[in-house]
Amino acid sequence: MPQLRDSGTRDLTHREPVPAAELDGFARIFGLETEYGVSVTGAGRPVDAGRVAMEMFRPVVSRSRSTNAYLPNGSRLYLDVGSHPEYATAEARDPSTALAQDLAGERIMARLAQGAQDRLRGELGERARIHVFKNNADSAGHSFGCHENYLVRRIVPLPLIEAQLLPFLVTRQLYTGAGRLADGGYQITQRADFLDEAVSSATTRARPMVNTRDEPHADPEAFRRLHVIIGDSNRSQWATWMKLATTHLVLCAIEDAVRRDVPCGAEGLALADPAAANRAVSRFLDDPAAPLALADGGAMSALAMQRRYLDLAGAFAASHPEAVPAGPDVLGEWSCALDALESGDWDVLADRVDWAAKRRLLAAYRRRHPEASDARLEALELDYHDIANGRAYAALLAHGGMRRLADGAIAAQAVQDPPSDTRAALRGAFVRQATQAGARFSCDWTTLRLLEPVAAEATLLDPFSTAADGAYARLMRAL
Amino acid sequence: MPQESMRAEAAGEQRREQETQAAGSGAAREQAGEQIDVLDAVLDDIETTLETNAEEYVSSFVQKGGE
Repeated sequence: MPQLRDSGTRDLTHREPVPAAELDGFARIFGLETEYGVSVTGAGRPVDAGRVAMEMFRPVVSRSRSTNAYLPNGSRLYLDVGSHPEYATAEARDPSTALAQDLAGERIMARLAQGAQDRLRGELGERARIHVFKNNADSAGHSFGCHENYLVRRIVPLPLIEAQLLPFLVTRQLYTGAGRLADGGYQITQRADFLDEAVSSATTRARPMVNTRDEPHADPEAFRRLHVIIGDSNRSQWATWMKLATTHLVLCAIEDAVRRDVPCGAEGLALADPAAANRAVSRFLDDPAAPLALADGGAMSALAMQRRYLDLAGAFAASHPEAVPAGPDVLGEWSCALDALESGDWDVLADRVDWAAKRRLLAAYRRRHPEASDARLEALELDYHDIANGRAYAALLAHGGMRRLADGAIAAQAVQDPPSDTRAALRGAFVRQATQAGARFSCDWTTLRLLEPVAAEATLLDPFSTAADGAYARLMRAL
Repeated sequence: MPQESMRAEAAGEQRREQETQAAGSGAAREQAGEQIDVLDAVLDDIETTLETNAEEYVSSFVQKGGE
């Protein structure tokens, strides 16, 4: 039974001053948290994933004395439950910055894997290879995630988010899904078969699709943190960017409608059974026109549902062009993708949608090797997600088979530098200087703590703010 | 490998014909042709580096579930 932990919806007429200057507009904070999977091959024997992950984190642990470390680029590295190395991007104001930070995370993970591989070869042999997978399922049916975080204005009640956003999240997988070989066919999502329940604030026991958490990551009076679990890990830069940009516009439309006390256009789209709809969308290729049952008794195909969301996002964007993210033409791309899905020509999407890219690659491989075993095809599919020792995705990118939104220089810079327009800038500067000074320190998303040589502390309550207050200035001077 | 490239060629040819019928435009034919070139290049690249022990690659990836 889903429990909704909610510290209350903020009244529209609430007039207390709030630190976040961005409350009245449509500014948003974006975050991506990715759990990676790890494995070892070529060692002549099975090697425990936990062991490998710990070895990867050795340099992190020795520097920060913890498997939870904040980096000079403002992001967080963490060794998760189940030994999944996890990377959470620093707070970003727009999808492009979040994408750059996510790509930085891939580079950081790959570097850690290389180091661990070098160190473990002494013991495991020269042919041992560490693989780090940016995906959502291992080969034994365990699932793990890529989660998004969006700061949402608290004037929007939680049940409204469930009713109006969830159908969008379920159906956006038409173009954000990473796909998976399954039961002799092909599903367009990685996770659908592993998720159940609609909205809940519990995470580790149940498998919810959307959480809201009122952790103090921002002023609790003004914003809540929307934690989206229903989403595949993407290799495609376009898919990562679109995932964030389209969700942002839908959230804007919902917030705007609540502000103006008008319908947003997503009324009546609530799903009768979100988990069932999720599984149906995942089987899109078997039946593209499959009707999804609605809570009010009707039914609608996933494509028709996405068209409705595109319409309401477009209507919002027309009256608020300033809220549309910089970068690709999100509405044009969204519309193009839906057209391609409608036409049934999946290969058109193969340069930007992960499930289509993998499917095309697998088909091409089968044409070249009609005798290929299932294991070989699964290996090719897994290779696509292997950021440490995989070749398939890199080759697609190199030969122009996948769209590139951020070049290598941008990703390399994001490894070093935090976003300059959020509190990540302050955190990153603190971590960099404290590390250089050899100081002992700790962080979480809202607090910076110096332990040695002196004790000092600063709080970063407003994720939008880069202003250094007195406490922060004192903290930095102490380094 | 002449046989494989002939097969790829045949598949490519068939695709190109289908594209022509569907779109009736030179641009669509060109895109399909380009796609085949890209895929051939990618498959060439990964031919030698794809895990020689596919079974091990797949079965060695086992972890507990995440959050």
